[in-house]
Amino acid sequence: MNIIDRMPLAGVHHTARPTWKLAETVHFYRDMLGLPLVHAISARGWGPDDHADFLHFFFDSGNGSTIAFFYYIGAPEPDFAMAREDYRYRATHTAWRVESFEKLMECRRRVEAAGISLRYQIRHEVIESIYFNDPNGYPIEIAWQARPFSDLDIADASRTLDAAIQLYEEPGALTCIDDVWRVKGEQLQREMEAA
Amino acid sequence: MMPTVFVLNVEEFRPLVENALARTDYEVTGPAGGYWRIQSNGEIAFSRKELGFKPAVWNGALTGGLVGEVVQFDKETLRIVGDGQ
Repeated sequence: MNIIDRMPLAGVHHTARPTWKLAETVHFYRDMLGLPLVHAISARGWGPDDHADFLHFFFDSGNGSTIAFFYYIGAPEPDFAMAREDYRYRATHTAWRVESFEKLMECRRRVEAAGISLRYQIRHEVIESIYFNDPNGYPIEIAWQARPFSDLDIADASRTLDAAIQLYEEPGALTCIDDVWRVKGEQLQREMEAA
Repeated sequence: MMPTVFVLNVEEFRPLVENALARTDYEVTGPAGGYWRIQSNGEIAFSRKELGFKPAVWNGALTGGLVGEVVQFDKETLRIVGDGQ
């Protein structure tokens, strides 16, 4: 494995997805959620593809980050871009950060007051989140992280993924999460016995 | 082999350790290398309600690692036995 120096990144500038609901999308992010519209590109299609003319517009999601959309004029919505009710589709989502539980609850109140249907509020291990969809069916999450990730979290993450990759690389070996837990546990057992 | 559950030494999973420490039939050692180890001569069982775990954390309760076999893991009860038990 090559260990490379970290790239000098400073967080998310934007994520971008296509929309076929131009007015609804602007209304949702700017007017219902209150994210300022801060940049809009309008351009002739260009590039090697048969690219439609387009609008590319950005909403400020705090701390220098934005969420952006493309509206392609006259280009039909392809099947691969259509939202669907499936956890594998919802895996692609945007999660915004808030700095406290109180601010998460303030966001929840504002989302509900705007008439947006809240899908869930979930407490995970370190993160508590609310979830709702935008007019395109894209999932939005707002997350509060209760504490910073520690060295223990970091080391544990490597143990989990090392175990999973070991199984993944052996055809048929990774059948359920218990397989990962066992590889990880057996490794820890060996280390404890050797100590 | 005795059933063994490893628990990462962070506050979110602490109820597993507290619950096991209160049981005379479980042996709890650690933390060592960042993990608590819970073992039993019989089976290891936990109740979600006793732990006070919300579902997302409950479903990841064994993420620290495991030696043995999960014989029950539903919405309320988790039971682990040793290999070959």
